[in-house]
Amino acid sequence: MSITLKGVMQAPVTPLKDDFSLDADGFAKMVDFHVRHGAPAIAWPHHKAESLNLTIAERKLGAEVAVKTVAGRVPVSIFVGTLSEEDSLDIARHAAKIGADMILAISPYCRRPSQEEIFDSIVRIGTTTDLPILTYNSPWRNGEGVEFTGELTRRLIERLPNYIGMKDASFHSEKFMEISRVALRMRPGFAIIMGVEHLLASFPLGACGSFSSSGAIAPNLCNKFYAALVANDWESARECQYKISRLWRLFKEQYPSSLKGAMIMMGRPVGPTRSPLPTATKERIDFLRQQLEELNILQTEPHGW
Amino acid sequence: MATFKPGLVHTPVTPFKRDQSIDFDAYGKLIEFHLRNGAEALALPMPPGEDISLTDGELRKLLEFALNQVKGRVPVLAHVNDAGTDIAVARVRHAEQAGAAAIVSHPPYFWHPKASMVVEHIVRVGAATRLPFFICSPPVEDVGTPLTTEIVLQALERLDNLAGVVDASMDWVFMVEALSLGRKVRADFQLLPGTDYMVSAGVIGGSGAFSPLSGVAPKRVREVYDLCAKQQFTQARKAQEDLAALHHLVKTAGFAGLKGALRAMGRDCGEPRPPARALGEIEYGKLAQEIAAMDFLRAEPRGW
Repeated sequence: MSITLKGVMQAPVTPLKDDFSLDADGFAKMVDFHVRHGAPAIAWPHHKAESLNLTIAERKLGAEVAVKTVAGRVPVSIFVGTLSEEDSLDIARHAAKIGADMILAISPYCRRPSQEEIFDSIVRIGTTTDLPILTYNSPWRNGEGVEFTGELTRRLIERLPNYIGMKDASFHSEKFMEISRVALRMRPGFAIIMGVEHLLASFPLGACGSFSSSGAIAPNLCNKFYAALVANDWESARECQYKISRLWRLFKEQYPSSLKGAMIMMGRPVGPTRSPLPTATKERIDFLRQQLEELNILQTEPHGW
Repeated sequence: MATFKPGLVHTPVTPFKRDQSIDFDAYGKLIEFHLRNGAEALALPMPPGEDISLTDGELRKLLEFALNQVKGRVPVLAHVNDAGTDIAVARVRHAEQAGAAAIVSHPPYFWHPKASMVVEHIVRVGAATRLPFFICSPPVEDVGTPLTTEIVLQALERLDNLAGVVDASMDWVFMVEALSLGRKVRADFQLLPGTDYMVSAGVIGGSGAFSPLSGVAPKRVREVYDLCAKQQFTQARKAQEDLAALHHLVKTAGFAGLKGALRAMGRDCGEPRPPARALGEIEYGKLAQEIAAMDFLRAEPRGW
């Protein structure tokens, strides 16, 4: 299938039961909620989905639930980032077997990889299946960042015919344009997708969309934001971006615990967050309720599944 | 007080002679070049103007020379900062007396104080003048103190003359937060891009621009600036990509890259002061070759 990626794509959280086990039924509801509320693609399990706190078996099970629930309505991306490259390769091959549409890859965590090491790792992952591959640019993580420079992106596009796009979490004018100038010239349909909804600054320069942080709370706002961008209605887009930025300020503290807490308040019981991440306290949820009311989110966004 | 909007601000380099003294003849020619090529204001000496390599006496003399050269044709914004708060305060008072139109400053150089101390530094420097006051956010890769949204908001509560942020961080999260939350405190609070990446800053609600590349490619800078002012951000993409390519080339050559690019365009401003390294002839030759290969620069002025 030829994939066109655009819009505010949703990256569901991972619902857990009270005993912290994976809630597969809840996850199916979560995925279906996003598709019914306009998600142009589903991407799982990003950090927001506690990816590194799930076992490899759980990640495979979740991927199967996502593909089955979406049932071809929109493309499904499976994130294969892990501590060990062997696990990334295993998850990538599994994603191909179960009918996912693409994978999202980063070189293994907790190293300080050189550009050469990132290149080699992505080539190994990108050639282990025929699936289209996206890479995850994350340059800022306290000395452990994995950065895809313009030059590295150029080499990967040359090497991998299935390299179709990048999740860019640089949120930085210069870094974004070093990638976009190279990638969009070499491969015009290359999808540059912002890591969370800091999409306004990049959209006029060629970004096609974002993976959502706040879509689990405010899908209507996400859809309104993207429609304003496509219409070049910058004033409306700005208004949405400012509101989404305030949401991000709320959720980035104890991410994704605060987000899960707010979702429970919106009638979507997604359970606790696995250790070492904290679970949102009642006080935190009360604070979020007050903030979301002030932002007119509680009154205008869907409650329940 | 009416809002002071600086518009398109050119940020000239500081020319040096072979003996490392300031080349005031070349500086006069450079200022005239900027005024003839679209500057709506000048800010000097910004970091590309090597402010930290100038002595206190030179900084004062440079500002006085520029004000005398400009003679009121455009506003001159004085960039004033130092490691020590008192030193910066004294120079701010001098800049106001000399006739600067506004003050631009940074978090303190060198030290890494707590956020509360950065706020104190900024407030003391800003309170030393009645002029409009702008704070710069340094590039994210700088080793100095970053400017956070919280610091901006606290300074805004305490400084009536804090007009805006000149952003060189290029960090979209900071830019959106500082602008959107800053405007809740003061409706005319401004965010100006401090680099030549105007589209991203403009589309999120920024206005004006500080342009280090204006000495090299003033026409392209003006084109992007005008399109952004008309909210034609998508249409500005190609020209913005050209400026990004030039920025990347100049930066890759090191600190001397900007002066190398000016020399390649026929405006020789000498080499940077030590300890910044001058370009070797081979490095310069490579830079000049790449400048020559940039098609869009053929439309730009050569010489003075």
